[in-house]
Amino acid sequence: MAVIFHIPGPLLVYTDGNRHIEIDASPADVREALELLFSLHPGIRARLLTEQGEIREHVNVFLGNEELRHLDGVATTLEDRAEITIMQAVSGGLKPNLGNCVRDI
Amino acid sequence: MIGTSVDHYRIVSKIGEGGMGIVYRAHDEVLNRDVALKVLTKDSIDKLGRDHLLGEARTASSLSHPNICTIHEVRKTSEEFYVVMELIEGHPLRTLIADAGLPSESVFRYGIQIADALAHAHDRSVVHRDLKSSNVMITPEGRVKVLDFGLAMSLRKEQLDDATRSVVDLGSGSELVGTLSYMAPEILQGQTGTYQSDIWAFGVLLYEAATGKLPFHGRTGLEVGSAILHQPPPALPSHVPPGLISVVQRCLAKDPALRFQRASEIRAALEALQSASVAGREQRDSQVGPRTLYFRGVDHLPVKNGDVLILAGTNKGLFIFRSSRERSRWQMAGPYFPGRAIYAIAYDNRQDRHRIWASTSQFWGSYLQSTDDFGRSWTNPLEANVKFPQDSGASLKSIWQVCLGHPEEPDVMYCGVEPAALFKSCDAGESWSLVQGLFDHPHRPRWVPGNGGLCLHTIVPDARDRSRMLVAISAAGNYRTDDAGQTWQAKNRGIRVVYTPEKFPEFGQCVHKVVSHPNQPERMFLQNHWGLYRSDDAGDSWHDIAHGVPSDFGFAMLMHPHDPDCVYIIPVESDEFRCTPGGKLRVYRTRNSGATWEPLTRGLPQTGAYETILRDSLTTDSLDPAGIYFGTRSGKLYHSRDEGKSWELVRDGLPQIVCLRATAVNELGGFAGTNRPKPSRSPARTFSKRRKKRAKK
Repeated sequence: MAVIFHIPGPLLVYTDGNRHIEIDASPADVREALELLFSLHPGIRARLLTEQGEIREHVNVFLGNEELRHLDGVATTLEDRAEITIMQAVSGGLKPNLGNCVRDI
Repeated sequence: MIGTSVDHYRIVSKIGEGGMGIVYRAHDEVLNRDVALKVLTKDSIDKLGRDHLLGEARTASSLSHPNICTIHEVRKTSEEFYVVMELIEGHPLRTLIADAGLPSESVFRYGIQIADALAHAHDRSVVHRDLKSSNVMITPEGRVKVLDFGLAMSLRKEQLDDATRSVVDLGSGSELVGTLSYMAPEILQGQTGTYQSDIWAFGVLLYEAATGKLPFHGRTGLEVGSAILHQPPPALPSHVPPGLISVVQRCLAKDPALRFQRASEIRAALEALQSASVAGREQRDSQVGPRTLYFRGVDHLPVKNGDVLILAGTNKGLFIFRSSRERSRWQMAGPYFPGRAIYAIAYDNRQDRHRIWASTSQFWGSYLQSTDDFGRSWTNPLEANVKFPQDSGASLKSIWQVCLGHPEEPDVMYCGVEPAALFKSCDAGESWSLVQGLFDHPHRPRWVPGNGGLCLHTIVPDARDRSRMLVAISAAGNYRTDDAGQTWQAKNRGIRVVYTPEKFPEFGQCVHKVVSHPNQPERMFLQNHWGLYRSDDAGDSWHDIAHGVPSDFGFAMLMHPHDPDCVYIIPVESDEFRCTPGGKLRVYRTRNSGATWEPLTRGLPQTGAYETILRDSLTTDSLDPAGIYFGTRSGKLYHSRDEGKSWELVRDGLPQIVCLRATAVNELGGFAGTNRPKPSRSPARTFSKRRKKRAKK
């Protein structure tokens, strides 16, 4: 069983440039799946969630084609090979690649 | 007792002794096998009650899991109470943890098994209550066995209170240390142990396994309890993988609701980390340390000693301008952080630093990022470096101001944020903590946001008295501390409010900017949302000084770097029409502390110039004669080399300018915008030394 994340351009610096991340695990819901993603790529957490654990106002998280706010939020349950897409809200942002910044260590 | 029998168990030898009882190796004469037999002390039985203990033990005996020590039998006689358990050959995890902790692979391997054991127990409504490294056995095959599920002795409230109020040295080997150090904050506050407190204890155990040290410690129970309740765990060392750090931090959230909710989540996270660690070990090792950003396509500036820099923060990125000391021709580099709003900038040149700080904001949060090489490389923290504690209930929106501390404290910095709060760093910006005294101010629930939000946008440390500082909040007004941030008092007497029935309330003023001179810190000048004021008593009282200005509405205000009587402002027409009055772009200056004001217009457009200058878009380079700079929302950057007599356009066509700072590169630091000269030194030596130091980190 696996869950697949699709990462937007501005966050690729935190996933070593990986646009798609497949995690071989069986998270029960989106929150568990996100925790797995954060464990692998810690830089994503602060970009996605506020200090209070809420998804940032201008960030959208989709399960398939449905935005989480229209489902059960992070408590939405997952099926095998669920696809979770993180996107910024409708306006602004960089080109859908690494932007014009590159990461080094 | 050795050699005697209890029922059909023949006692062979003593294995150990703990707070609950004595553990013996025994032989089961019926099933012909060795077992462990724990005989509970009378004291334990009295404290917990026989029926309670029996119930708990029976529940725990229902657990059947390869990583949980199996309870075969629980017996109660008239004299004794004993538990017959699986005999485990091996060593307590506690004794296997070296001074520097276990290798990450071992932490993952053991951690996954412990998490699995916890998940199994929690699914069956069994809480451990006393998970710690001495309760986890590792067999010679590397298998984890968690002991004493459900059998842990819960400390009574009175015992707990006694322990956490104790100032008596505990001693490293005491049972109480072992128990206290793993206790969750809510347990210390008198609540009953839950799954969440097990998860906290598991976080302590993981921290200990990864580092060899307990995250919360102290000589006395009082110190240990205080650390658990109030302090974040010390940062884990750089050899610990970031993912594991993240798991530990999540387990150790003070608020139980912010921890992992289920042990199965931790197991899954550790499994994912373990597989990633094995699959890409080299890659993961390289993730240690803060990440660095480089910007492609930017021609960085070749900064030399003696150069003058303008740092322009816009709503779409940061631009850096460089000139020689003459300040006649300017080179530009940028945008750095394109697409991000730069709400605050600071230049820290204390202690050989040449560090530019920028607060960057976008959909993905607000961060403080710095460069030590004039933009070639920037820090990019994995986690937010300025963030509210979880129990504050607040979340950071923007960082509005970054300010250097008192000259005698060269590693101290402050930042002001939205929602209105002050943060302090004592390590030159590496880590930040909330100034709780201001956040807990009783007025705070009644503070009202201004048009730009409820933000702390101005920080004025007192150059003479390091315990004193004034901050300005929109729309709450000025607050001053005289005891280094412990307590704060509203300082708004005499400042008029036009949008409430009460014209001179204690607080609620929409202050736009406050400035003071380091040589005369008790004299302050203030640009209000309608109103220009001066205070001669460090803010205790304020007096109107709007004599001869076209409007006393405005945002920007600047103190002359060398003359305590000289202040610059750029008035705008009104709160409704926030543009320069009459389409004339005019800087106003007083050289007599506000008795009179003169317009400075030479070189500035005097027709059709409907400009807005924001509160932090007026600055000086602190040279002599002082360079004065301002930026407009329409993206124009002006400068004056002669203290305002004449003006030139440095650049047009920038994004909206939000904040400006200027500096000569070889100057000694001080308060933002009021730097004082220091002897020049070789730039090559200084910069390369700095770079090497940063590279080591």
